[in-house]
Amino acid sequence: MRLVIDERRCKGCNLCTIVCPYKIFRQGAKPNARGIVVPELDRPERCANCRLQALYGRTLCGMCQMICPDQAISWKDEEIGEPTKVAIEF
Amino acid sequence: MTKIDFMQGNTACAEGALAAGCRFFGGYPITPSTEVAEHMAAKLPKLGGVFIQMEDEIAGIAAVIGASWTGVRAMTATSGPGFSLMMENLGFAVMTETPCVVVNIQRGGPSTGQPTMSAQGDMLQCRFGSHGDYSIIALSPASVQEMYELTVKAFNLADRFRIPVFLMADEIIGHMRERIEIPDTIPAGERKLLEKDTLPYHAGKDLVPGFPQFGKGYGVHVTGLTHDERGYPCTTSPSVHEELVKRLVAKVESARHEIADFRVTNPGAEIIFITYGSPARTVEQLIHDHPDANIGHLRLRMVWPFCENALGEFPDARVFLVPEQNLGQIAREIERHTSVPVVPLPKLGGALHTPAELKAAMEAWR
Amino acid sequence: MTYTDWLREDRLPHIYCAGCGNGTIINCTLNAVDHMGWKKEDTVFVSGIGCSSRAPGYISTDSLHTTHGRALAFATGIKMANPGLHVVIFTGDGDLAAIGGNHFIHACRRNIDLTVICMNNQIYGMTGGQGSPTTPVGALSTTTPYGSREPTFDLCQLASAAGANFVSRWTSYHVKELTRAIHTGLQIPGFSFIEAAVQCPTNYGRRNKFRQVMDQVEYFKTHAILQQKAERLKAEGKSVPENSIVIGDFIRRDRPAMGVKR
Repeated sequence: MRLVIDERRCKGCNLCTIVCPYKIFRQGAKPNARGIVVPELDRPERCANCRLQALYGRTLCGMCQMICPDQAISWKDEEIGEPTKVAIEF
Repeated sequence: MTKIDFMQGNTACAEGALAAGCRFFGGYPITPSTEVAEHMAAKLPKLGGVFIQMEDEIAGIAAVIGASWTGVRAMTATSGPGFSLMMENLGFAVMTETPCVVVNIQRGGPSTGQPTMSAQGDMLQCRFGSHGDYSIIALSPASVQEMYELTVKAFNLADRFRIPVFLMADEIIGHMRERIEIPDTIPAGERKLLEKDTLPYHAGKDLVPGFPQFGKGYGVHVTGLTHDERGYPCTTSPSVHEELVKRLVAKVESARHEIADFRVTNPGAEIIFITYGSPARTVEQLIHDHPDANIGHLRLRMVWPFCENALGEFPDARVFLVPEQNLGQIAREIERHTSVPVVPLPKLGGALHTPAELKAAMEAWR
Repeated sequence: MTYTDWLREDRLPHIYCAGCGNGTIINCTLNAVDHMGWKKEDTVFVSGIGCSSRAPGYISTDSLHTTHGRALAFATGIKMANPGLHVVIFTGDGDLAAIGGNHFIHACRRNIDLTVICMNNQIYGMTGGQGSPTTPVGALSTTTPYGSREPTFDLCQLASAAGANFVSRWTSYHVKELTRAIHTGLQIPGFSFIEAAVQCPTNYGRRNKFRQVMDQVEYFKTHAILQQKAERLKAEGKSVPENSIVIGDFIRRDRPAMGVKR
């Protein structure tokens, strides 16, 4: 699975940057079209939920999604043919 | 078979509510309306209904509005000070189009005033008391029989128009005991539910949207903020607000001639008494004691919305005499609609006008 | 089904300021509601007035956004008239403790089967940052420009004393614990009160040395102290550090409740 930030909802509060145990979220640098500095993702394939959600059949960590006040963080299935670096770890 | 009984006005009101299918009462004790609550407290649990005594009148009307959204017929009863407390939430009921019935057994005001004496001082408050523009329906009974009948009617009107309907009785009618005929069947009315796949605040020709009852899967957002047809807050658009408020007023006012409820005596008369509530009884006594085709009587059973066509029932009228237990609240409304002189006959303090007083006022116009 | 299915997607993004904790509390509540396995048509969200009270508008169930402070009275009517409905109330500190204080203690006393989630941001956010009954002594607001001098309400102690069946306090940092507490509150028959301390960067943080959104959340993280630890410190004769936020589940009991579906 793939971690995505919905840029239409994100208000750039950066709360996700303080809760992620893998420090995947970094403060952004450039404002987007709405003038909001959306956090950047640093190697999101490290996210436990991305790797293991499908295997366990439930949301694992999910701290970033829970604390995000703007409901902007979610996980999406990769589309068919999309190159994926995520492999299931055992 | 109609049942003959002898009871108090407040009890008759409660009986009428129960007959109309009222199954929720939320209120707070206040003289002189307590008997309504007491009777409901005794009867409702046996009928599977809910009686709850809240912490104040604000909570009383709030609980009634909440209950109404679950689809039950709900009411509260109060008097002057409690009625004043309810004003904000009554505005909420108007804005969210919540059907409910509020009984106001009026007493002398302002403030604590005369708790055990009669008055009609809340007639303008019930129409204009909450902030913003709106319209409501107010009924005014003049006998114990009418306490019963008009309570039933109030529930039917509330459901039809989705508004708070007021039963503006006074202490004299509320505490009077007299003969009452309780009919077997009562006029039926029901709350039209919202059709599926319709926007919750989309109104048809009658300007009243269907009722999206809670628990039925409508998923409706009900808010006291200015809202669009979806029910979503839309507080900065002038056109949405104008459209909404105009519809809230028009749904009642455009039906005022159809729902008008008044009684006419001697339509050819020149001197006309216009009354509602207990002063009507003095005028009836006067006409009974001095039969005269030149004395007319217009008795309003529905005071708000004011139906000006009722005045046209007396084409030869030379004067409208308006005895009220206030300083002329409805007289002012009548004045607005006619070129015939309107003479308020105010009486404060709780005592009823005497036939002699009314006769003296009338003689001046002979 | 996940909690995101409960959101009224067509109304998002919501009106809350960047970094406002209310959105987090909505997440936690919907997560707990989702865990309960309730049906949408049987669930009603009720609120009063204020920032917190806009929350039901973003949830796709039946919802009632009422007048200031009266949410509990409206909810009482809904729950008593139809005990089959699950009623959850969102409220704020001003809404619940100031204008709605009387309804709050009486709803606790009646122990009606409601779950109340109070987003306590210690300020009136919607109206521009006036002091509330929970604004800490010394804190700046637009109506306490020289520092608040009034003692504050401890909402959890108030609910406990008035008779609620479940009382708990967490912060917007403790999302997992808060979700679990709300879930417990939803399960328990009777009145459940969950206070969530939330950050208000725009109107509280800005005037009270929390310049960044994260500053106040970090404060919650560092100053929160578990109730058990606070009690242990007291038992050992040590003092609980000043300005600490005591968190945890304070009351869980089984007083007779009203409005429970039979």
